Amino acid sequence: MKQLVNAFLAILIVAFGLMFLGSRLNSAQGYTGGNTLTIYNWGDYIDPDLLDQFQEETGITVIYQTFDSNEAMLTKVEQGGTTFDVVVPSDYAIAKMREENLLLPLDHSKIPNLANIDEQFMDLSFDPGNMYSVPYFWGTVGIIFNPEMTEGMDFSSWDSLWDSRLNNNIFLVDGAREVMGMALNSLHYSVNDTNEDHLQEALAKLNRLSPNVKAIVGDEIKMLLANEEAAVGIVWSGDASEIMDENDKLDYIVPEEGSNIWFDNMVIPKTAANVEGAHKFIDFMLRPEVAAQNTEYVGYSTPNTPALALLPEDISGDTRFYPPAEITDRLEVYDNLGKRMLAHYNELFLRFKMNKK
Amino acid sequence: MRNKNKFANIYLVLVFVVLYAPIFYLMYYSFNSGGTMRDFEGFTLDYYREVFQDTRLIIIVINTLVIALLSSAIATLIAIFGALAIHHIRSRRAKNTLLSLNNVLIVSPDVIIGASFLILFTIAGIKLGFTSVLLSHVAFSIPIAVLMILPHLQDMSPTLTDAARDLGATRRDVLTKVILPIIKPGIFSGFFMALTYSLDDFAVTFFVTGNGYSTLSVEIYSRARQGVSLSINALSTLIFLFTILLVVGYYFLNRRKARPGAAIAEPAAELGVPR
Repeated sequence: MKQLVNAFLAILIVAFGLMFLGSRLNSAQGYTGGNTLTIYNWGDYIDPDLLDQFQEETGITVIYQTFDSNEAMLTKVEQGGTTFDVVVPSDYAIAKMREENLLLPLDHSKIPNLANIDEQFMDLSFDPGNMYSVPYFWGTVGIIFNPEMTEGMDFSSWDSLWDSRLNNNIFLVDGAREVMGMALNSLHYSVNDTNEDHLQEALAKLNRLSPNVKAIVGDEIKMLLANEEAAVGIVWSGDASEIMDENDKLDYIVPEEGSNIWFDNMVIPKTAANVEGAHKFIDFMLRPEVAAQNTEYVGYSTPNTPALALLPEDISGDTRFYPPAEITDRLEVYDNLGKRMLAHYNELFLRFKMNKK
Repeated sequence: MRNKNKFANIYLVLVFVVLYAPIFYLMYYSFNSGGTMRDFEGFTLDYYREVFQDTRLIIIVINTLVIALLSSAIATLIAIFGALAIHHIRSRRAKNTLLSLNNVLIVSPDVIIGASFLILFTIAGIKLGFTSVLLSHVAFSIPIAVLMILPHLQDMSPTLTDAARDLGATRRDVLTKVILPIIKPGIFSGFFMALTYSLDDFAVTFFVTGNGYSTLSVEIYSRARQGVSLSINALSTLIFLFTILLVVGYYFLNRRKARPGAAIAEPAAELGVPR
């Protein structure tokens, strides 16, 4: 009995000692004061030095939290157990949050730096007039390929994927919109096409791609491609830049038939506690120097025109990530097709997956 | 006969190699100056320095330990009385029902438990953070601790308590001087099982963390999306070594105590093996 009580006391003492230590560390970092700003962003999606700079300038302590998928983020924000002040969802998630009334309208007068954003990235279908969101990073869907393993093949067209030389050598990302969109694009249709004949045509074309497809994978596609498990992959440009950081043999291209363009935008959820600070933070992130520094750290494409001018030529001149106008004109944002159409897209994608031997 | 033994040994060695290889692989690369898990370029301690400089990560480690210690201590305390109550129920049917309910909680998927807690806490208006994580960890640890303690109660001869009563022991004396010492190994193994469950639980914790409060499993998972940085390897190595120290310490403590009065020591239960 005595031993039990002693053990129990020892555990409590250790636990409370650790708790004390933790709260000391917390207050040393300033995480406990009233003047805080909670940011909910993708993992490793901001230069940490910028957070320090923001804290120094404004005296607001930043609590930075991360998520790994739009769906996980949506669950957390919807339930409202926590107060996030700034969140960075992707385009379709913003449309969904808008529909579900989860967002606060932005006060544009408090974000003067909004003028830095390139016109072509404003006023898009998922958020007309940028009522609720401000572009953070953008990118495309395209083909990443290994020139050594593909022997001078040309990937400027989606059709090149159907080449028999690529037998069992392609990784597809596991997304219904991405894969269906790619097939629709290769037939010169829109990624938002809802015409049943066109969709069936796309499915038939996808089924012919099956022999070339090695696997349909999720986030691990980055590791697999960097390790040269296959010569070609369909990926988001953000992933492509990470893969190319790991393995510089690889190259990325956006086919000329067109493709999807995606956005991660900053929004303020309804539950925000520090709306004033959130606006300050958004404006801070849109400053040319800040956006440029962040772009260099993260490696995705910035929508900030003056920031682009500050970046070294080998980043801003990289047509793979800042494609020329004739390509960007053909890029399309995913429209919100509605629940039924989305289910249909998923169904078709599933049929393709099941057909794959 | 000798040959057979040799095969058994080889088999055992193989099993342990399979179990430990990934851990050693991870530890090996935590010293890699190359920055990836592919090519080993040279020895460096940079990632260990990074871990100790990352205050946020250290706070998260402390959170994780505090939650694990507190939740398993509280859960074990509750489980002791829970197990006693279940043991004292006379009706066989009621007892089996309670036991099954207890087991259902152990086998039910973590994701579902986590989602239910999220809904419960938001309805109850409890802010997500330390309290919500602690409460949910206590909750999922209780059934495990109960399961560890019950067999010891069932093994205990009922004549012991009767004899104690006959000799004039009060109800309290019977509990503190007879029952608790006998089920002590079960209590400890229950505590340690709860501790490990709490340390590595991701699914439940993911749903109930918030407001800047996070535990290690959740943090590593959201970092892993960008590829696991080697500082995570370094941290994992440190935690692994720490666990080994704990286990070795626990082993020596037990051995010292087991010698004089070896009667009560039950190795299987000590190691947390349910019977």
